[in-house]
Amino acid sequence: MNYVIIGGSAAGVMACEAIRKRDEKAKITLVSDEKLPLYSRCLLTYLLAGQITEDKLTFRDPDFYKKNKIDAILGVRAKSIDVKKRAVKLSNGKSILYDKLLLATGANPKSIDIPGVDKEGFFTIRRIDDARGMIKLMDKVKRVVVLGGGLIGLRDAYALMHQGKKVSVIAKSSQVLSQMLDKEAADIIRDTLVANGIEVKTQAAAKEITGGKTVEGVLLDDGTKVDCQMVIVGKGVIADIALAKGSGIKTHWGFLVDEYMATNVKGIFAAGDCAETRDLASGEMTINGLWPCAVEQGGIAGANMTGEKIAYEGSLSMNSVEFFGLPAISMGITKPKTDDYETLVFENRNKNLYRKIVLKDNLICGAVFINGVESAGVINVLMRKRIDISGIKERLVDNNFSFATVMPLIKDNSDSFTAEEFLDTIKTYQ
Amino acid sequence: MPTKTSKKNKAAGKIKIFCDLRKCTGCKSCEIACAVEHSFSKDLVKALRESVPPTKRVRIRDSFGRAVRISCQHCEEAPCVAACMSGAMYKDPKTGATKHDKDKCVGCWMCIMVCPFGAIVRSIEDKQALKCDLCPDRDDYACVIACPTGALFAGTPEEFKRKAEKKL
Amino acid sequence: MTKAKDRSIDKASQQMLKRAEAEDKQLAWDRLEAMEPQCGFGTLGICCKVCSMGPCRIDPFGDGPQEGVCGANKDTIAARNLLRHIAAGAAAHSDHGRDVAHTLLIAAEGKTHHYGIIDEKKLHDIARIYDIKTEGRSKEDIAKDLAHAALAEFGNQEGELKMIARAPESRKKVWRKLGVMPRGIDREIVESMHRVNMGVDADYKNVINHGIRCSLGDGWGGSMIATDLQDIMLGSPKPVRAKVNLGVLKEDQVNIIVHGHEPTLSEMAVKAAKDPELLALAQKYGAKGINIAGMCCTANEILMRHGVPVAGDFLQQELAIVTGAVELMMVDVQCIMPALSSLATCFHTKLVTTSYKAKYPGVEHIQFNEEEAYEIACKIIRMGVENFKKRKKERVDIPKYEMDLVAGFTAEYVFHMLGGKYRATYRPLNDAIISGRVRGVAGVVGCNNPKIKHDWAHIEMVKELIKHDVLVLQTGCSAIACAKAGLMTPGDALKLTGPGLREVCEAVGIPPVLHLGSCVDNSRILIAASEVLKEGGLGGDLCDLPAAGAAPEWMSEKAITIGFYVIASGIFTVFGGDMPVKGSENVTRYITEELDSIIGGKFAFEADPIKAAHMMIDHINKKRAALKLNPMMYEPAKKEAKEEATAGAN
Repeated sequence: MNYVIIGGSAAGVMACEAIRKRDEKAKITLVSDEKLPLYSRCLLTYLLAGQITEDKLTFRDPDFYKKNKIDAILGVRAKSIDVKKRAVKLSNGKSILYDKLLLATGANPKSIDIPGVDKEGFFTIRRIDDARGMIKLMDKVKRVVVLGGGLIGLRDAYALMHQGKKVSVIAKSSQVLSQMLDKEAADIIRDTLVANGIEVKTQAAAKEITGGKTVEGVLLDDGTKVDCQMVIVGKGVIADIALAKGSGIKTHWGFLVDEYMATNVKGIFAAGDCAETRDLASGEMTINGLWPCAVEQGGIAGANMTGEKIAYEGSLSMNSVEFFGLPAISMGITKPKTDDYETLVFENRNKNLYRKIVLKDNLICGAVFINGVESAGVINVLMRKRIDISGIKERLVDNNFSFATVMPLIKDNSDSFTAEEFLDTIKTYQ
Repeated sequence: MPTKTSKKNKAAGKIKIFCDLRKCTGCKSCEIACAVEHSFSKDLVKALRESVPPTKRVRIRDSFGRAVRISCQHCEEAPCVAACMSGAMYKDPKTGATKHDKDKCVGCWMCIMVCPFGAIVRSIEDKQALKCDLCPDRDDYACVIACPTGALFAGTPEEFKRKAEKKL
Repeated sequence: MTKAKDRSIDKASQQMLKRAEAEDKQLAWDRLEAMEPQCGFGTLGICCKVCSMGPCRIDPFGDGPQEGVCGANKDTIAARNLLRHIAAGAAAHSDHGRDVAHTLLIAAEGKTHHYGIIDEKKLHDIARIYDIKTEGRSKEDIAKDLAHAALAEFGNQEGELKMIARAPESRKKVWRKLGVMPRGIDREIVESMHRVNMGVDADYKNVINHGIRCSLGDGWGGSMIATDLQDIMLGSPKPVRAKVNLGVLKEDQVNIIVHGHEPTLSEMAVKAAKDPELLALAQKYGAKGINIAGMCCTANEILMRHGVPVAGDFLQQELAIVTGAVELMMVDVQCIMPALSSLATCFHTKLVTTSYKAKYPGVEHIQFNEEEAYEIACKIIRMGVENFKKRKKERVDIPKYEMDLVAGFTAEYVFHMLGGKYRATYRPLNDAIISGRVRGVAGVVGCNNPKIKHDWAHIEMVKELIKHDVLVLQTGCSAIACAKAGLMTPGDALKLTGPGLREVCEAVGIPPVLHLGSCVDNSRILIAASEVLKEGGLGGDLCDLPAAGAAPEWMSEKAITIGFYVIASGIFTVFGGDMPVKGSENVTRYITEELDSIIGGKFAFEADPIKAAHMMIDHINKKRAALKLNPMMYEPAKKEAKEEATAGAN
């Protein structure tokens, strides 16, 4: 069997592992348009902050491809797919054949369309080269404007703050982290950022990036001008689905896949940030461009490419960040739009403690944790497994909530918790 | 007298720490032993005065009047490993233990976000995820040795199963 | 399992430890191993079970609860626990004192003819303290008044203890200023129990200050009454030669061990062992005699007054039985391991309890009373003699280790030796300190503890002290430990002694390490220190003296109480193991640092006996410097002395 995988990040690599585990003799070819292999792009902001060095970016040993006998074609872009010939055309002019193909092409950062984005000092950050470019300029930069108050924007801002830069965040929305958090939680984060010296301006947008050859400032839509030597856009990503063109693969936001991570074209699978899957919390098709989702999807896609039939439960939007020692975790629906949801909230602003659980029909649909995040994973598993929590509802946002609190539920729903580890915990629980 | 046989048999592999909750009195001796084992001095009194106090990786929590031990279960399909974006969390192919490489950990807490047991704790000082590491510095397990009733038990899942099925 | 040689430094004990191991007998060391690791909350003193909202424990590492259900934090909990220990220790010593006063009373009233008034001089001395008229009165009348006065000290409610009047005025001022002058012995113990009750005293400093008051009621009250009234009734000890260690047990005699703390019954046992009828009976069974040997502080009492051999210290109580040569062990109160009863059944040894306060399941009890003291002693000894029949020769294994010692020193009479027979005075000791021959005085006392190699810390510390010209005063099991090591004979011990102290010891004919008696006799050290101060030239208060205290192998609550009255008497004291307070930084700081400026004394915790000895030496040097005393006469060179000082500080 001849497997081709396009993309060398989490989904691609996990698929390789899954295939090799099941088929020792398979021919596996991996194509990635990036030269640096096996690096975790989530770590780029840590690199930017100077918290880690480039050698710590990898999430697998450097000899991973060799050890797993994977033919890795790096620095080469897949240009198109010939579905009839079962071939992928590459940017180096070559063409490779496949029996099974995985599209793990990931996503590209959203940019903005205003005057001045061509100036030196304007960045989006997605790839190692972006980070390297910023680090190269670092000495000349005193002040940075980050456009975007989302996760990426704030992570960039936090990283540059670490480098001693003065940082302003300009967000269009009325709150930071509007995709991830509700207003209350977001305000705690915002206050923390501001208290630690990051300027945050909401409901504002950039109109123009000023300067000559290099960035000298940002002109906002309210007419104010911010001097800066670097502008970073952190406004989320768009799935890279360019390969769909002419292939007949159905797309929407991303490649549309079924529960086995297969596209509508036989032999072609998709996983990771480019794949559109069902969201567990909302039930809608969406892209949850997250590392853990990519890992899971890549693994399942790889297994199914070898002929297995593993169904993907669906993806869950969730994220974890920490700014200035303040951790925040969110999952699922944090801002219910209809009133058939129930919310449980615990808040202690003095301690920057905030917990919120979103319920519908006694099933957990979402949660937010600021500080006291240790038991977030327990809520996560109850949400995934769709466990009726009516028995312990009043304890869910309690300070003392822990796995111990949910033990009766584990016992009562033991058919949902079939993994040995769960059974071990309740074996002697009487 | 509780048996204190918990000598590691590395060759045997697949050794985990289990808790017979029927015998757990909630005394928290395991918590203290764990913290001391993960201190610099490995001495109770000295550990208290260390600039960064040690963090325990096992906790006794209340479950409706019953004491429950919370600690890493070293899951076969470990969600923390899948969620780890830095490659710090990994499975030891020989022993099946879920291990953590502190040189790679950046403290993103993705592992905490997905651990169904809530068994991973944050080291706030050095931004590290901390969890049961099965006491790499000793031949046995600090919590098991410290357990005064023999509720904590180190062995294979099969051994634990037999133990759990036995009447007290 | 640890090896015998790691468990004890004493050869006789090692031999018995090996035997116990071979025969799979569980001893304190084995039980300790089974118990380890011991509870961290208890070790740190931060668990509280005084009310039923608890039990509560404070998370020492900070991420769990920091307050109990009532809101008591680790400072309050650690301090309250400590006060409970102090109260318990004070209760033990003082209750012993009460019994002695009672015995004196019935002896004076003629209700028992087994006890009398032997030391009339001391009777008069002590009666004067209580303002009891002595002139022209019979000793019985004086003793009766004294006994009543002493008993009244326990229930006294107002004012100050009378006995504590003996303390230097300067010291009493300090105590009054801090409000820790004890009113009544029992009252301070009862008030301790009130304060530690749920929802009473929560200020750790206030709690500990009362602990000081309670401990002073012991040291300058209950214990002192015990010592002095025993001296009056049984005779004040005088220097006496004797033998010590398990080797004193005799293969060809009936061996009877008296174990515990009180001298009343053991005195009678010593007499009864010479009873011709019992001796004849022993001979009938093939024994050449009846050998009484002491254990723990009961041993010290009869050693001091009669030179009765000492079989061993606290950790040898089980080992004595393991010899297979002990016919009977009679016990009274304190430091008696419940383990003895089952161990005794493995040998032919008969265990007999004699105090209604201390019974053990399955152990025969013969209640002691003063009226029939001798008859009861005879009855018990007879049981021992009868039991000789059951001794199995092949099971007898007596270690051939015994050591000579000189004991019997007291505050009133010992130091007089320094002045010679006809010039009874402390002057020569003071002069020796002032001139730099003797660096200072150290009290090394306390128990054994299987957590520390048996006897090792006592012996190492004392050796280090005498090497540095520090005269060492000892009581309790610490004294027995050092006696076994030969430190209480003028001969060999002097070879280990610094040149200045050696000169003094040789001139007077005393060992460099003086045995002052049992653990209630720590009161003798307080009196000795007061006498030294009175003699002049060494400052204006006890805390000015170049003196220090230590309990290197302590384990009992009594040791905590002793420690507190010693530091409250202005003497720096080093404990070998930690007191259970380390969970609270505040309480630890208060008793190891802050109390020094408040009361002139403080604790240190140091498990290494050599380091601990140097902490004491440094302290003594500091006091010498403050008093501007002469440099040490034989100090090799200043530089080296400095190095030693820094080594000690490390």
